[in-house]
Amino acid sequence: MPKLDLNTQVKLVIYEITAETGSVPTSSEVSCKMNVDESEVLAAFRRLHAKRLLLPEPGDPHRIRMAPPFSGVPTRFPVEANGKHYYANCVWDAYGIAAALHCDAISRASDGHTGEPLTIEVKNGEPIWKSYVAHFAVPAAHWWDDLIFT
Amino acid sequence: MLLFRSEETVNRWCAAHNVPRRPLVNLEQLWQLAVRWYANRLSVESRRPPPDEMVSTFKSLGLTGPFWDPKSDQWR
Repeated sequence: MPKLDLNTQVKLVIYEITAETGSVPTSSEVSCKMNVDESEVLAAFRRLHAKRLLLPEPGDPHRIRMAPPFSGVPTRFPVEANGKHYYANCVWDAYGIAAALHCDAISRASDGHTGEPLTIEVKNGEPIWKSYVAHFAVPAAHWWDDLIFT
Repeated sequence: MLLFRSEETVNRWCAAHNVPRRPLVNLEQLWQLAVRWYANRLSVESRRPPPDEMVSTFKSLGLTGPFWDPKSDQWR
């Protein structure tokens, strides 16, 4: 197999650490894991952001706010999967964690207006049917204008 | 995007936040979107779907129109 470019290596390490620990790593943690200079990791973060594969924390390029479907900060979409705890960026990404990890998952979320607890679950590769709905407030052309709001 | 028990709570949320009511997606559609977007996300070849592929995916799930077109300028 040909040697992978740095962007791909960084991307894989981000997801490897996140899947293993439930926490999205910092540039320092990725740097230590890969044994490469942190400045190179930060440059890869910028390139992955340009490709819309991650979102750095606003005001702190050393931290990752979103490595979709994973969130670097707590959200209203916690996900339990493989005995670990994650946070998803939105309801789409709550299912996305189950899809990315190829495992069962449960998200104890809540109604966006009332706060009523609403649980969504994936079991044996299929979602457990509920009549809940997701509301997409932002058109697809503008999802990355303000991804945190989207 | 947020999760709601029903269309009724969506409408109340939109009114409370002065946000236009936009499309709703059911959980089966949402699961299919998650699989298309993320099933290979942890692999070497993972990438964000390009615009034409996004449109094709949305269309296959019944999500059509400018709202679902990442190249649409209707919303600018």
